[in-house]
Amino acid sequence: MKNILRTVSTSLFLLMAIGDFTQAFGQDRNVKGKVTSQDDGEGLPGVSIQVEGASRGTVTDFEGNYSLELQAGDTHLIYSFIGYKANTQEIGSRSVIDVVMEPDVEQLEEIVVVGYGVQRKSDVTGAVASVRGSDLTKIPAANPMQALQGKVAGLQVSSGSGQPGASPVVRIRGVGTFNDSSPIYVVDGVILSDISFLNSSDIQSMEVLKDASATAIYGSRGANGVIIITTKQGKIGTEATTFNVNTEFSVQQLAKKIDLLSGREFASVVNDISPGSFNNVDAVPNTDWQDLIFDTAPIQNHQISATGSTDKTQYYVGLGYFSQQGIVDKSEYERLTLKLNNTYQLSANVRLGNNITIAPYSQQVAPNVVYQVYRAQPVAVPRYEDGSFGAVQNVGNPLADLQYSNNFNKGLRTVGNVFTDITLFKDFTARSSFGVDLGYNKSKSFSPAFTVYNPDGTASQQQNVYNDLSKENRENFTWLWENTVTYFKKFGVHRVEGLAGFTSQKTTSEYLGLRGENTLRDGQDFWYLRPSYIVDESNNINTLNSLANGVDAGQYYSMMSLLFRVNYTYDDRFLFTGTFRRDGSSKFTDNNRYASFPSLAVGWNLINEEFMQGISTLTNLKVRASWGAIGNEKIRYNRQFSLVQNELNPVFGIEEALNPGGSYGVTGNPDLKWETTYQTDIGLEIGLLNQRLTGEFDYYRRETQDILVDLLTPGHLGNGQGQRVTYNAGAVLNSGFEFNLGWSDEIQGVKYRIGALGSTIHNEVLSVGGNSGVDSTLVGGYLGDGRPVTLSREGLPIGAFHGYQIDGVFQNQAELDAYPHDSQARPGDVIIRDVNGDGRITLDDRTYLGSPIPTFIYGFNLEASFKGFDINVDFQGQVGNKIFNGKEVVRPDPYNFERHVIDRWRGEGTSTTEPRATFGGLNFAPSSRFIQDGSFMRFRNMTLGYTIPEAVLDRISMTQVRVYLRGTNLFTSTKFTGYSPEFGSEDVLSSNIDRGIYPVSAIYSAGLNISF
Amino acid sequence: MNTARYINQFARKSVFIVLVLAPFACQDFLEIDPQGDLTQASFPQSESDALLATNAAYSTLRNWSYHSGGYPIYDIMSDDALKGSNPNDQLPTLGPFDTFTFNPTQDGLDRWWASLYEGIKRANVVIEKVPEIAMPQASIDLYVAEARFLRGLFYFDLVRAWGGVPLITTLTPPLRAERASAAEIYALIEEDLSLAADMLPEKSELPVESLGRATRGAAKALLAKMYLFQGDYINAELYALEVINSGQYSLEPNFADAFGEAGEHGVESVFEIGARRNEGTNNGGNQYANVQGIRGSPNRGWGFNRPSVDLMNSFDANDPRMDATIIFLGEVLGGVETIGDGTTPDETRDANGNLIELETYNQKVWTEGDNTITSWGHNRRLVRYADVLLMAAEALNENNKSAEALIHLNEVRERARGGDAGILPDITVTSKEELRDLIIEERRHELAMEGHRFGDLVRTGKAPEVLGPLGFQAGKHELLPIPQTEIDLSEGTLGQNPGYN
Repeated sequence: MKNILRTVSTSLFLLMAIGDFTQAFGQDRNVKGKVTSQDDGEGLPGVSIQVEGASRGTVTDFEGNYSLELQAGDTHLIYSFIGYKANTQEIGSRSVIDVVMEPDVEQLEEIVVVGYGVQRKSDVTGAVASVRGSDLTKIPAANPMQALQGKVAGLQVSSGSGQPGASPVVRIRGVGTFNDSSPIYVVDGVILSDISFLNSSDIQSMEVLKDASATAIYGSRGANGVIIITTKQGKIGTEATTFNVNTEFSVQQLAKKIDLLSGREFASVVNDISPGSFNNVDAVPNTDWQDLIFDTAPIQNHQISATGSTDKTQYYVGLGYFSQQGIVDKSEYERLTLKLNNTYQLSANVRLGNNITIAPYSQQVAPNVVYQVYRAQPVAVPRYEDGSFGAVQNVGNPLADLQYSNNFNKGLRTVGNVFTDITLFKDFTARSSFGVDLGYNKSKSFSPAFTVYNPDGTASQQQNVYNDLSKENRENFTWLWENTVTYFKKFGVHRVEGLAGFTSQKTTSEYLGLRGENTLRDGQDFWYLRPSYIVDESNNINTLNSLANGVDAGQYYSMMSLLFRVNYTYDDRFLFTGTFRRDGSSKFTDNNRYASFPSLAVGWNLINEEFMQGISTLTNLKVRASWGAIGNEKIRYNRQFSLVQNELNPVFGIEEALNPGGSYGVTGNPDLKWETTYQTDIGLEIGLLNQRLTGEFDYYRRETQDILVDLLTPGHLGNGQGQRVTYNAGAVLNSGFEFNLGWSDEIQGVKYRIGALGSTIHNEVLSVGGNSGVDSTLVGGYLGDGRPVTLSREGLPIGAFHGYQIDGVFQNQAELDAYPHDSQARPGDVIIRDVNGDGRITLDDRTYLGSPIPTFIYGFNLEASFKGFDINVDFQGQVGNKIFNGKEVVRPDPYNFERHVIDRWRGEGTSTTEPRATFGGLNFAPSSRFIQDGSFMRFRNMTLGYTIPEAVLDRISMTQVRVYLRGTNLFTSTKFTGYSPEFGSEDVLSSNIDRGIYPVSAIYSAGLNISF
Repeated sequence: MNTARYINQFARKSVFIVLVLAPFACQDFLEIDPQGDLTQASFPQSESDALLATNAAYSTLRNWSYHSGGYPIYDIMSDDALKGSNPNDQLPTLGPFDTFTFNPTQDGLDRWWASLYEGIKRANVVIEKVPEIAMPQASIDLYVAEARFLRGLFYFDLVRAWGGVPLITTLTPPLRAERASAAEIYALIEEDLSLAADMLPEKSELPVESLGRATRGAAKALLAKMYLFQGDYINAELYALEVINSGQYSLEPNFADAFGEAGEHGVESVFEIGARRNEGTNNGGNQYANVQGIRGSPNRGWGFNRPSVDLMNSFDANDPRMDATIIFLGEVLGGVETIGDGTTPDETRDANGNLIELETYNQKVWTEGDNTITSWGHNRRLVRYADVLLMAAEALNENNKSAEALIHLNEVRERARGGDAGILPDITVTSKEELRDLIIEERRHELAMEGHRFGDLVRTGKAPEVLGPLGFQAGKHELLPIPQTEIDLSEGTLGQNPGYN
């Protein structure tokens, strides 16, 4: 590593020495002139003018005028500007040189942002999807990723929870590891794992990098994909400041209720189970808890931004405000975003800039009353006649829990960088960027002392004897320093781009949590922890002597990397990209500290071949292929350490004192190393009928090896019961096809575009374990009562559902006697399949019940505009996955039922699918009975807009005024009985399990965009 | 223009400096230690660390799964007790121990195995690392002796439960281990406990705040017990009598104090596990009694380990120990009437109308209080003096010294009498065979529900006769099955015990 660095550094030094430290002396003179565009003859501002062979130069002002001091020996000036062909002028004896710049049609081609640079779309050899910023503001959501649902082939975005401020779960090309499978985000060059601070309106474009050729430049962090986000910059050449004002008001509403029993229905089912429980089922209360908890709730989203440039500076300044209240009381999210993107042309060769976002936010999180509402008996009353809360057996009164819960988060996230671009000398540009990601979050939660009383006046279980208060502080600070040198040269039919860089990063995060009880008063003014309130659980007294319940943890890590890339294009026909990154990380011990991540890719622009010229319908045809190795370093790296475990305290003496003890805890695994994903991609890009029809097709195969998994170790190692050790011992395959088709045309003034995209996913665990002494399955998906419902093992998808297969209902005693059954089974109970055929029903009879990962995800959309009107319609969906209805399964006590219990078995021949009603037990063992089809198609978005004609606007000095109406999540076609078939779980072993989550709502919006 | 030139030069030179120097400025940039946690490489280093490490080895004793995987399965496997709680509660977890239908995947066995080896690791930390610390030799010897006592105790559990097991005396054991023979395990226990007996102080030498730490008497009592399990009655007699003659112990006048709260660290206590009335192991509590506490009303626990009808019937008429051992419905304890659990039948009869189960609870773990938390404070007595007396009696009888045996046996009966001369008369039998049976019967009544019965039946060869009707098979059920997970993880180096394959 060190040697490589030294070589790089030395070469750079030599290059600069040649380029820089030659100074000529002589008589200075001036040259001036005006640069205009061939298009319209207008002056061109911002054109770079450089003395050939030297590093001196200038840029044109707003009228396109310039003036430059010359030195002896200066012979030529080079004029360059993006979108125009470079122009070289011999100076000779001229003192005035006017130049007409010719537009470069080639350069006006679509530009794609890639890691550490940009590329012409036609030169790209990797699988990269671009999303325009304007597409991101079509969904009223705090997190920009929510707008990407159904917009990029191979990208799955699931908003699991409707809690305001909740982040969606993002997966690119399947699930690549048992650990964190989320992509990384690169916002204006700063590498991040979370972009909840970003305001969609500030985003210029998003690029989703999917294959190894595109992501390998991010080395150890790119394995699960990279999403590059470029925020808006001031436009060169727009002297006048443009103001944009967007304002939007929305209303959210529960999209769908779960079909639960009414009071009367519940009472009669209970009478079936336990006769005589309700004397008169017509006289019982009927409480619809869902109606009591869910309400409509508003969202507001407002932005104002100013953008423009002077001859030396460009600026974008944005201010945004987003506020969302939840459809459940006491849940809300509020965020302010300040965006400052500036660049300063310090000289012809040096540009300085900053991209900064400051985002203070606050959030209130509701307790999980949604699950309570699902379980609460409809025969319980919400309030007694005196207005006090009614007791709800077993689950507590959800209204009371809401009333007495107060959970607040507030914090500040600041992300930004300061960078400088330096043209070192001809063809070489250096860039140094220093970025920070700074996050503070404070949480506090308070519950007053309260008691909900039973109807007979005794205290119910729903009570809190002392008020309690807990506080948490989190602080994350990351700095990232990236230095790169780029070389670009075009000669003849060759185009060469080279990139070399050195980066380093350090992250520190600290956490402090404390809990206390029995503050003097309930009011907010008393939500402060005083020593006398802090609970010492080991003494059951309030004292600060022990910090047993205070948690103070820090996690620090650092990285250092070298990166290289070469792009070579021959005659715009043959393309080659090679990347190499070497990463070093503190997360691993010396032996495995460094790892290399290479990739190679080739492309062939068939359309530019002679033999294609005759085919006029074809306007684009390109094939490309890539291979590479990429890493995942989002792992629990502390598992490498063998730590000392504290709090192993014995009790000695007559006074029974806890004596402090500490000893060796779980043995760490110092041999841990990076998880590595090997990805192959083959792609085809096609354009027909003058690009009216475009298509992009990809085959991908991602194989992740050395996945970190926590495995059981033999007991004699002394790690203790249930303790696991982390090993690099898993492999997972994801493969599939992606397509993205678009058709755009204009018919009689109606401009329209239709797009369709989709991706297949084959996900398979290739191995778990494999080392001796460790096991070979991963159990997950634990329900509230500790029962697991997923098992990941070789040959199955990650997080595969696992449970009993139900083959019907025992109709009578004879049937029961004839088939293996649990000792407690009776006629009317479910028939559990004796999978292993041993004549008994045991836990070993649990079997594969389906996959949580869809086999196909898709989206399609339509945009059309006619005169001032525009319409936009988006659908998205997925096929082939299952959902485990976990909320129905955990039933230690009598809860309300889903409607299907009405069709239950009530004697021979009455039902072969729905067992007799019970409060719990055998019929609620995790089984195929609770597996539901997770396929869905969602009418994601429909927007109708009207733009006021320019003629009208001119009179009021506006450039654009548009009003629109929008519906989001208007309709979902699914067989799933819960609120929403979308589940976001960061834990890949527990995906698509409905444990009673905060529902995603339908949203109706009206908005206004103004530019002037 | 000059400004621009300076900027250019400054910028270029900065780039140069950055690129050339940055990699060298951060040699240790990638070396970051865990924050706030000690690594094992840096522990134990001082005398106070040595104390921490020794204490940690004791803390295993309060681990829930240290108690035979969480539940008193040895009582349930004996003729003294049934699973308990309501009929369905933990039926797959505990039911098989009532009926000897457990197999290698039986819940709990893996926990117990892992917990014992975790304790052994903590003891090995002291035994291997503490002698390397620069500190007074006397302290080193004391801590090592305590650790060896505990290691011997943990291995004694292992060898009785599973026979030969992996013999681990190092901190870097192999990933795959072979089973040592039972004899090799016993040899280690003998070595550990003998050293402990030499180096540890007597109980009276312990400061009151250290009661609960290992003592010479505890080590000798365990040695006596170990020899009984090996049929070495000469040594069993030797060590039991050494404990008796040490003058450190006597019987509690009141039988209930021998295991109850009033007698914690009292005269009869030879080795007990200190616990506090707090929920949670980390807070000083011990769940051992909580899982056996009265279920229902008053709610004192989960209600497992129910005294059997057979145990009730086995007591002599008027033996006050029966009532002190069993909580019957309607019994008033600490001023509260025992009503019991609504989902548990008060009595269960077989098809012929014979009583097979009566809703009762284990009184030996009962602690006065008004909630479930108090039972977490029960100090489980691993060895008490009555046990030592009966071990002495048993060994003496086997060594043909029945007259001496009767002295110790009758000392236990005398205390049981509680001053009532009309009951539990002294035993005068001198026939070795008859006396052997009477001593085992006395152990049953004196130590009922304290986890001794199954081992006593197995080591005296009575198990097939007594437990056969419950499902016990000779040649198989003397040992538990090696947990299947351990066999799987070993990839074949660990073999299964006879009869379980």
